[in-house]
Amino acid sequence: MNARVTQRPALWPAFVATAAVASFAYLFLRAEAQWEVAALAAGAVVALLVLGRTRLGAVVGSAWGARPTPLAWGALLAALVVVALFAEDHFALLMIATVLLYGVACLGLTIQFGYAGVVNFSGAAFFGVGGYTAAVLATHTALPHLLVVAVGGVLAGAIGSLLVLPLLRTRGHYAALITVAFAILFKTFLEVNDTLGGPQGLKVPGMRMLGWSFNDNILVGEDVELSFYLSYAVFSLLLLAGALVLVRRLERSWLGLSLDAVRIDETAASVFGFEVARWKILAFTLGNVLAGVAGAVYAMMTGFVAPASFTIAESLILVSIVILGGVGNPVGVLAATALVVVLPEKLQVIQEYRFLLFSGFVILVLLFRPEGLLPRKLRQYLPGWGRA
Amino acid sequence: MLPRPLRHAALCCALMLAAGTAGAKEAVKLVFIGPLTGGVSANGLGGRNATDLAVKLRNAGPKAKYRYELVSLDDECKPNIGVQVATKAAADRSIVAGVTHYCSTVAMATVDVYHKFGLPVVVWGAVLPDITYANDYAEVHRVNGTMINQNDTAAEFMTGLKYKRWAVIHDTTDYGKGHNKYFSEYLAKNGGRILGTFGVTADQQDFSAELTKIKELKPEVVYFGGTTPLGVRIRTQMDKLGVKAVFQGTSGIVSDAYIEGLGPLAEGSLAFREGAPMEKLPGGKFFLEQYNAQKYNDPPEAYGAFAFAAANLVMDAIEKVGPDRRKVRSELNRTRDYQSVVGTITFDDHRQNAVPLITKLVVQDGKWIVWEDSDYAKGKRKLVKP
Amino acid sequence: MDLSLLGQYVLNGLMLGTIYAMVAVGFTLFFGVLDVIKFSHGDVLMVGAFTGLVAYLGLSELGVQSNALLSLGVMLAAVLLIALLGAAMARWLVLPLRGAPPINVLLITLMAGTVLREAIRLFYPAGANPKPFPRLLPTDSISFGALTLRFDSAILIALGLASIVAVHLLVTRTKLGLAIRAVAQDSETAQVMGMNFQRVVLVTFAIGSALAALAGVTAGLYYNEINFGMGLLLGVIGFSAAVVGGLGNLYGAILGGFLFAGLQTLGAVWFAVPAYKDVFAFAVVILVMAWRPTGLIAEQSAERV
Repeated sequence: MNARVTQRPALWPAFVATAAVASFAYLFLRAEAQWEVAALAAGAVVALLVLGRTRLGAVVGSAWGARPTPLAWGALLAALVVVALFAEDHFALLMIATVLLYGVACLGLTIQFGYAGVVNFSGAAFFGVGGYTAAVLATHTALPHLLVVAVGGVLAGAIGSLLVLPLLRTRGHYAALITVAFAILFKTFLEVNDTLGGPQGLKVPGMRMLGWSFNDNILVGEDVELSFYLSYAVFSLLLLAGALVLVRRLERSWLGLSLDAVRIDETAASVFGFEVARWKILAFTLGNVLAGVAGAVYAMMTGFVAPASFTIAESLILVSIVILGGVGNPVGVLAATALVVVLPEKLQVIQEYRFLLFSGFVILVLLFRPEGLLPRKLRQYLPGWGRA
Repeated sequence: MLPRPLRHAALCCALMLAAGTAGAKEAVKLVFIGPLTGGVSANGLGGRNATDLAVKLRNAGPKAKYRYELVSLDDECKPNIGVQVATKAAADRSIVAGVTHYCSTVAMATVDVYHKFGLPVVVWGAVLPDITYANDYAEVHRVNGTMINQNDTAAEFMTGLKYKRWAVIHDTTDYGKGHNKYFSEYLAKNGGRILGTFGVTADQQDFSAELTKIKELKPEVVYFGGTTPLGVRIRTQMDKLGVKAVFQGTSGIVSDAYIEGLGPLAEGSLAFREGAPMEKLPGGKFFLEQYNAQKYNDPPEAYGAFAFAAANLVMDAIEKVGPDRRKVRSELNRTRDYQSVVGTITFDDHRQNAVPLITKLVVQDGKWIVWEDSDYAKGKRKLVKP
Repeated sequence: MDLSLLGQYVLNGLMLGTIYAMVAVGFTLFFGVLDVIKFSHGDVLMVGAFTGLVAYLGLSELGVQSNALLSLGVMLAAVLLIALLGAAMARWLVLPLRGAPPINVLLITLMAGTVLREAIRLFYPAGANPKPFPRLLPTDSISFGALTLRFDSAILIALGLASIVAVHLLVTRTKLGLAIRAVAQDSETAQVMGMNFQRVVLVTFAIGSALAALAGVTAGLYYNEINFGMGLLLGVIGFSAAVVGGLGNLYGAILGGFLFAGLQTLGAVWFAVPAYKDVFAFAVVILVMAWRPTGLIAEQSAERV
C-alpha cells in the first residue's frame, strides 16, 4: 500500500485546454486572410509540440485521465457551441462535418492498425462501400435512413471479411499487397459496372430522420436561415462521440489488451494462448464497420458518390492521417484529420500544391518524429498511474 | 427652417455623397467552372479566357451598374471534383451566378448542387441532352447545342458517303454513352450497320484488346464517342495494330490537342460539331479580335465563343434585376431572342437553346477545316479505304 | 479463334509482360537487399519517361536528326539520371529509416512517389496533360493474317528482355552481384566480412531504378504518350507481380510480370466487356496470395522469436 496518498489532480487545466481548442477552432474556421490562417496554423503546431514536451502536457493529460466523463461532456458541449456559432455558414459547417466523418473513418483505421497492427491500404474503399450502400438503399428502398447507415457499416464489414482469409495467412508486405489490390479492384469494378452508375457515379438523396429532412435549410423566425449542413454537423458530432467512446472503451478493456499483444509480437502472443486470428478479424471488421458508417453519412451529405472519390490516393491519405497523428492515439488522429482536411481549404494559395506539400510534410515527420504529433501514451491500468 | 448658407451646404453635401456612392460600384461575383487541368484543359482554359474577356470588356465599358469579379474554379473533368467545387461556389453567398462546365459528366453530377443552393448557371460546352432535359431545375440553362443534332447529321453524312459498316468505341461516362445511344439510333435509321460496340474507361491506356477484336470484325469506319486524350490513344494504337478504317469522332476531339498528339496520323479524321465555325458566326470576328487583343496563352478553342455569350447573358440579367440569385434565375428563364456573338439565343421550356446548324470537320494538313472547304470534299484527296 | 489472332493477343501480352517484369525485378532487388518495398518505383519510372522526353527535346534543339542517335540518347539520359535519383532516395529516405518499423519505410516511399508525381504535374509545363512521346523507332510491320508484327514492338520486347537478362547476369556472375546477394542474405555478416554495406545498397537502388527508367522509356515509345499518372498503376502492378512471383527471387519477379500480363490478356479475351480485365487480374492475385502466402516461388525465411 502506498504511504503517499495520491491526490486527484485538478480538473481545471483540462477545461482550460478544451476551451482553448474550441476557440482556436472557431477562429481558424472564420479566418479568411491568408496570413491569418498561416499564423494560426503555425501557432497550433508550436503549441502542440510545446504541450508534448513540457509539463503542461502532462498536467492536462493526467487531468483527463483522472475524471474523463465530465471532461468528455465538456468537450462535447464546446464542440456544439462551435457548431452553433457557424450555424449560417454553409462552407464552414461542411468542413466541420467532413472532419468529423473522416475522423470516424480514421478511428476505424486506428483500431485496425494502431491496436491490432493490421495495415489497411483500402480504407477509402470501405468508406465507399458505405457511400454506395447509402446511394442504392436510399434511392430504391424505403428503409429508414438510420438503418441505411447501419447497413452501410455492416456491408463494409462483410466485404472486409472476404479479405480476411488471405490477410490471416500472410505477413507484413504481403498483407499490405492484399489491401492495395483490393483498393484498386474496388475502384475499377465500380467504374466498369453500369448498375452502380459506372464512372458517372450515383446521386444520393439527403438524409431524412423521423420526418426531419436534413437537406432543407432551417428557417428560424422570418429572417434567419440556418444552413442545412447544421443537421449533418450535429449528427456527425454525435457519431464521432460514439466512435470515440467505443475506441476508448475498447482500448482500456481486455479486448484492447489482446489486440496490443497480437500487434507487438504475434508469435509470443500465440504461445501465450491468444487466438491471433480471432483478434485480427475483430479489429479489421470493426474498423471497416466504422469506415462504412462514416461513408454512408458522408455520401448523404454531399449527395453524390463516384468511383473517383475512393481511389488508393484517398486510402493513403487516411493511413497518413493515422500515422501523422500518432499511431493509436485517438486525440492525435482527430488533430491530424482536422489539419489535413481544413488546412488546404483555408490556405488557398497552397490549394494546388496541397498533395505535394502534404506528402513532403509526412516525409519530414517520418524522418524526424516518427511517433507523430501526439504519440500514444503508455497503457494506464489505474487512473493517475501514468504520472511520472 | 435652416438659414440659407446652411441649406446650400447641406444640399452640396447630399449631392456629393450621392455622386460618391454612384462612383463606387458594388462588386458582383461570378463563378466560372471548367476543366483547367487534365486532358481537356485546352477547352477549359479557352472557355475561362473567353469569360474573363467578357467580364473585362463589361467592366471597361461605361454603362455597367456593377463591378464584376470572376472566380474561376477547376473541375478537372471529374464528376466528384466538380461536385466539390460546385458546392464550394454555390455555398458562397456572394457568388450570384455561374458559367459552368465543358465536361458533360461533371455537368450531370452538379445540376443537383446548383438546384439545392439556388445558384443560376449557364452551361457553355457540355452537350449531353439530359443536363437540361432530364430535370426541371430552373437554375440550369444552356447556350450550346446538344449531341442529338450532331449525331443525326453525322449518320446522314457518313451513309451519304456510302459507308456501311461501323465499329463503335465509346467511353463509359454518360457523355460517351449518350453519343453511343444517339448515333446508334440515327445510324440504324440511315441504313448503316454496327458490327460491334466497345465501352472503355475514360482513363484507359491500352486498347490492344478492343482493337484486336475490332480488327477481326473488319469495319469501314471506327466511330469514337469520347474526348481528345482517348481519341489520340485509340488512333495511335489503331495504326500500331494495323486497323485500317476511317476515324470518325464527335465534338469531343475537335481541338488542337488532338492534332498535336497525333502528328501526321490525324490526317483524315472526321468530326461533327454544333454551331457554325467561329469566323462565320455573327459576332465571331468581333470576338476573335477582342480575344487576340488580350494576348491569352491559349486559344478560345471550339466553345470559347459560347462561354463569352453565356457570360454576357448572365451579366445582362444582373444589370436588369440586380445581384439576387432568385431574380437572376427568373430573368434568365425568360430569355427570348437574345442577340449574342453566337447568334440568337432563345431558351425553350427546359431552358435549352436550339442550335440547329452542324459543322462537319476534317483534319487536313494539321488543321481542322470545314468539310465543304476541304480537298476531300472536292475529290482531290481520298479518305482511308479499309 | 484463328491462330494469327491468338498470336496477336500473345504479342500484346508479351509487350505488357516485359514492362511489368522490368518493374517487378526492381522491386525484388530492393526487397532482397534491404527488406524494403519501395512504393515510389512506379513514379520513378514516370520520371524516367519524362527525363527521356526532355532529353529528346534537348537533343532535337541541338540539331540531332538521326532516330537511332536520338533513341540512344533518350535511353542513356533516362537510365543514368534515374540511377542517380534512385541512389539519392536510398541514401536520404530509406537508409535512415533502417531501424524503424517497416510500415514507416513503406509510407515514406509512398509519399516520395507522390512528391515526384505532383512535382511533375505542377512544375513541368502543362504537366497535367498527357504528352506525346516521339516516334523514334521504325514503324514498318509484317503481317501474318490477323497478326501484325511491328518492328518497334519487336525491338522493345527484345530490349526489355535483354535488360532483364543483363541484370540477372550482373547479379549472378559478377563480384558486385556477389556482394549484393551477400548483403541480401545477411547484411550483418556481410559487413563483418568487410563489404561496404552502404555502397552496395546505393548501387542496388541505382540498378533497380535504372531498369525502371528503361521501362518508362519503353512504355513511352510503345504508346507514344506519357502522362504524370502512368507510374501509379504500373507501380502497383509491378509490386503485385513481384509479390506473386515471390519477393526476393529474380525468376519469381519475371514470372510474376508475365503472369500478370497473361491474366490481363486472358481477362480481356474472356469477358464481353474488356474493361473487366484489371478486376479479374487483381482478384486472381488476391486468390494466389491466399493459396501461397509468400508467393509462387516461396520466400525462404526464418523468423526469430
